[in-house]
Amino acid sequence: MTVTAAPRPRDLLTGTVRFCRFLRARGLAITPSESHDAIRALEVVDLGDRSEVHRALRTVLATRPEEFPIFDATFDAFWGGLVAAATQGEGATSPDAPQLNAHFPRAKDAALDFSGWTDVGEGDGEPVGLPGVSDLESAMGKDFSTFEAADLAEVERLAAQIARRLATRRSRRLKPSRRRGRVDLRRTVRLSLTRGELIDLARRERKIQKTKLVVFCDVSGSMDLYSRLLLQFLYAMQNNLGRMETFVFSTRLHRITEDLRHASYRGALSRLGDVRDWSGGTKIGESLRAFNLGWPKLLDRDTVVIVLSDGWDTGEPAILADALRTMRRRAGKLIWLNPLLGSPDYQPLTQGMQAALPEVDAFLPAHNLESFRALARHLKP
Amino acid sequence: MREEIRQIQAQMEGAAYITDPAISTAVHLATTLRKPLLVEGHAGVGKTEIAKVLARVRGTNLIRLQCYEGLDASTALYEWNYPKQILRIRLEERDERSVSEKEADIFSETFLLKRPLLQAITQAERAPVLLIDEIDRADLEFESFLLEVLSDFQVTVPEIGTITAAHRPDVVLTSNRSRDLSDALRRRCLYLWIDYPSFEKEVRILRTKVPGINERLAGQIARVMQNLRRRQLQKVPGVAESLDWGAALVALHADHLDAQLVRETLGCVLKEVDDVKRIEADLAAGRLSELLEG
Repeated sequence: MTVTAAPRPRDLLTGTVRFCRFLRARGLAITPSESHDAIRALEVVDLGDRSEVHRALRTVLATRPEEFPIFDATFDAFWGGLVAAATQGEGATSPDAPQLNAHFPRAKDAALDFSGWTDVGEGDGEPVGLPGVSDLESAMGKDFSTFEAADLAEVERLAAQIARRLATRRSRRLKPSRRRGRVDLRRTVRLSLTRGELIDLARRERKIQKTKLVVFCDVSGSMDLYSRLLLQFLYAMQNNLGRMETFVFSTRLHRITEDLRHASYRGALSRLGDVRDWSGGTKIGESLRAFNLGWPKLLDRDTVVIVLSDGWDTGEPAILADALRTMRRRAGKLIWLNPLLGSPDYQPLTQGMQAALPEVDAFLPAHNLESFRALARHLKP
Repeated sequence: MREEIRQIQAQMEGAAYITDPAISTAVHLATTLRKPLLVEGHAGVGKTEIAKVLARVRGTNLIRLQCYEGLDASTALYEWNYPKQILRIRLEERDERSVSEKEADIFSETFLLKRPLLQAITQAERAPVLLIDEIDRADLEFESFLLEVLSDFQVTVPEIGTITAAHRPDVVLTSNRSRDLSDALRRRCLYLWIDYPSFEKEVRILRTKVPGINERLAGQIARVMQNLRRRQLQKVPGVAESLDWGAALVALHADHLDAQLVRETLGCVLKEVDDVKRIEADLAAGRLSELLEG
């Protein structure tokens, strides 16, 4: 479609800036320098050609294909509205603009959403009375209780062991070394300069790459039996591993990294007491999406993401799949630990689990010590 | 459409690269706004080819930096020629010159091995095209290092000083999205996503790139590829695979597809045993026509 009356240059300048602001409000991270580039781009394309303007602005302003639908919809709504107003015809003032707002929440709002920590679950609880679940829970509960009573120290020991393994991965990057490793010619020559002779060989060896962990623990009602044990495990990990971030979620996401950093588990727990919308419903997808929007910097290729949940999700499965896909792309590895998986009868048939399975690198049980031992093997990005 | 964009499109097609408006617009903007172009897309859709064709069209050098995990500044930027330096030191042992004079000598440009990034900014004649291929394979450390080079196109070698680009190279980065690139890098670049080609575009690509292929065979290949990409395969074939297949079929003097021929040449297209088995089963059940539908 071709724009009949191209907007005047001044309108174009302010229009572009406003368009950028709209995109920013819809979650695209657009910097002033990109707005500037957008204006420059419009100077070198055919303004009479709507699709060319669209292509040019998208090249400058969008940075990944996931942003294309947001961009396209905003473009249509914004410039469509502008053109309609300019030509004073049609009166089609972007009917989808309000819809858009509902569909793409502002990144900022989502990040601020966690402030209501004292809120109790929002009433839309777990699907109860589903066949098989209660049987499963009681059977596994036994496991759990013996575990907790006898092997408190074992949890600690295992967590420390896993943390140690994570801290000693060899990277492909090299660092200077005293005796071992390959000869480092650069430093060898440097050394020989001052002595006039090649006496010492400088060497370099593979650097140790520290794995980072980001853990999400489901503390909703259906996980009640496990969350206490899991939290204990996370507490021990957190205090053995420098680079670990811990989040809990039920209907919303809470960062508890700082709360777990406490000399005693009891002390950590009492701090966590303030964080209770526990044992409510579950919105895994929304929680993980909130993480993606709020803490994008926490994930990189050296990071292993662990989601501890039974997959009972009352939210939209598509949102969960989408959030997991984003996380997996950014992180080194994405592992889903499901306590129910320890039962031989368990089938991952819940909608949430079905949506999640194709997006994770590993799907593992987490119901006893043995499963945690097995986990250690997977914890390398 | 802007005249310059039309021109770029014609030039690239003249160099046997079938483009579409999105690609030519992005190339036009990258060269006029002087910004690096980040090209993402599935494997084998012709990301790397953009840089090669751009260099050919401009009649300038293509300098390529292939990324891999552990790639560091000394492989990407520069390294001293140590054996040569050591030799020189030994030869000049009885030289009366002071240590600082000797040092200035052996750390001069004669002993500098220029790696791709330094090569790209020290081209004397004209701006080269710098291709940074598969940036997603390099690690984060390298990415941040690259940001520095891309922002001001100057490099500091401690022993020599700062070298500034005489001609700013046109930079093309490609990524297969095996990991997400940092926002900082994305923001510094213009972004182009190349999807699998449409049926018409794929036919044109085959007709241009495979000598001796006829319209009918090209159409059939493109149709099969379009249908294969819609199935849930483990390894989805790209344009590179269609071209291989086309060349193979032409070498076999085929002018149209039949089940036997497809079975024999399936290895050009599918690279996973499970995928091969699935399609073979379809062929055995006489369902070639489904692949040719469209």
